[in-house]
Amino acid sequence: MNFMYLYLPVALTSINILIPVGLGLAVGLLSGLFGVGGGFLMTPLLIMLGIPATVAAATDSNQIVAASTSGTYAHWKVGNVDFKMGLYLLIGGFIGGLAGVQAIKFLNATGNADFVIKMTYVLMLGIVGTYMFIESLSSMRKSKSQESETGLKPVCTESCMTRFLKSLPLQTHFEKSGVTHSLLLPLIFGGFVGVLAAIMGVGGGFLMVPVMVYILRMPMHVVVGTSLFQILFNCIEVTFLQAYTNHSVDFILAVLLLLGSTVGAQIGAVFGRKLKGEQLKIILATIVLAVTVKIVFELTLTPSLLISQAGGH
Amino acid sequence: MIKLRKIILTIFSLLTLFGIFLLGLLIFTANASADLTVKSNHDHIKIDFFYHGSTVSVKGEADPGTDLVIKITSPDGHEVLKQKGKVGGLLWMNTGTLNFENTPNLYSVHSTKKIDDILSAEEMEKYVIGYPALSRHVEITPSSNEAERSKWFNEFVKYKVSSNLYTSSYGRITTSEQGDKQAYYILTAWPFQAPPGDYLVTVYAVKDKKVIEQAQSNVNVEQIGIIKALAGMAKNNAAWYGIISIIAALAAGFGVSLVFGKGGGAH
Repeated sequence: MNFMYLYLPVALTSINILIPVGLGLAVGLLSGLFGVGGGFLMTPLLIMLGIPATVAAATDSNQIVAASTSGTYAHWKVGNVDFKMGLYLLIGGFIGGLAGVQAIKFLNATGNADFVIKMTYVLMLGIVGTYMFIESLSSMRKSKSQESETGLKPVCTESCMTRFLKSLPLQTHFEKSGVTHSLLLPLIFGGFVGVLAAIMGVGGGFLMVPVMVYILRMPMHVVVGTSLFQILFNCIEVTFLQAYTNHSVDFILAVLLLLGSTVGAQIGAVFGRKLKGEQLKIILATIVLAVTVKIVFELTLTPSLLISQAGGH
Repeated sequence: MIKLRKIILTIFSLLTLFGIFLLGLLIFTANASADLTVKSNHDHIKIDFFYHGSTVSVKGEADPGTDLVIKITSPDGHEVLKQKGKVGGLLWMNTGTLNFENTPNLYSVHSTKKIDDILSAEEMEKYVIGYPALSRHVEITPSSNEAERSKWFNEFVKYKVSSNLYTSSYGRITTSEQGDKQAYYILTAWPFQAPPGDYLVTVYAVKDKKVIEQAQSNVNVEQIGIIKALAGMAKNNAAWYGIISIIAALAAGFGVSLVFGKGGGAH
């Protein structure tokens, strides 16, 4: 008997306690810092550790419930959660998720699912990462040259796009974020992220954050809190569905992961307040680009095993 | 009356003869199977909270001058796995699924010498000993030709070896003369990846490239305690299991937030 190892009753494997706790801490830190669930990092890491793909994805959702509760609470305490905006994004995301699941069913039937999933991953991560990186770099330079310290809001110019957005019906003011938008905007973009998230099998935080920053023009710190609030509800739904239909949530693995991630999310939230909006964005952009490069390598290098478990991407 | 006594006597005599014949047969077969014995120590493996695999020792007696092959397998089953292939000659992706029928989830073969040197190909195939024999035993679909089938079987073995579920060795079985018998012993690592279930240990005594005798024993792997309760609940009370998992995660999130909140994390 080795007390450093615990047996996982659903994954049917044994794991060194320190690994999931450490992983949880690292991903929870990112969650508290950037408002992402971290599924796009955690799930592949768990699969690498020998956890079956379906169990890895489902259990990760369960632990994100804990990390995002911890993160949302920390951000809510300092007034960084826009519940109104979060709710509309959530409704849009929910409808988009349903559409995305149907899209995956259709793609599976035509045999093109894996190609579409992988390409969506590379393109979305690549585009989002590159755009965020360049934009935050230029605004950091700009704020430096102007010796301005107000780097929380992205530079907003009255472009055709903004004029078009303002011409949409059902304009309403989102007090917490300090922005006025049509109600349709969070619904449509929430839905768009929901479709992509369902296709990619992730929570979609890394897509939702750029939508809130660049399209909804919300301040970065409110974006993080609101994104976590939205992720919390998404992951509650996913955890239940996975446990109920696939029996793939491993409770013990989830507890080990959340021991790390809840603490990590708190540290991330505290640490994030010490960083400027642009700094947060550039770090997130770097992580997103690093993941893109990793996926591109995976796609082009010959894998060590040519067969794998069914169920994951 | 005399006729009836004769009939009864005849029946009685026949029954006695039959009884003697049966007894003889019993003694003969008992002697035959006593030449090769097998005992698996630690044959009831319990998966508890801190389980990280186990060991199983197989020992027994065999005729001197025989070589031994020990095969540990789970019952044949089927597995559906994803196959990877190059798309457009550039990108590695999942290109479809492969069905493997008649495959044991665990397959472990140990022998006193290299199997090819002590068993003929026909005998290996007959008793499904060694990967080439297992390859012919397994059905793989879809596979259009023998080369493709062989490629995917080799990949399947690589995949199983990487999860410690398929192993093979030779020269690790220790033998010693004990009177007119040969005692044998091997200690094997039992992988934690092997799921609960019944496993069969078969020992083959081999001479002149032929199996001359075999004996069997069992290993049972079972979940116990909290592991059994959680695995059972995940399957049988899925809705409650999901709700409890969510509540536990919410409580943990709030709990840690309160601890940090008191510590002055927020400002």
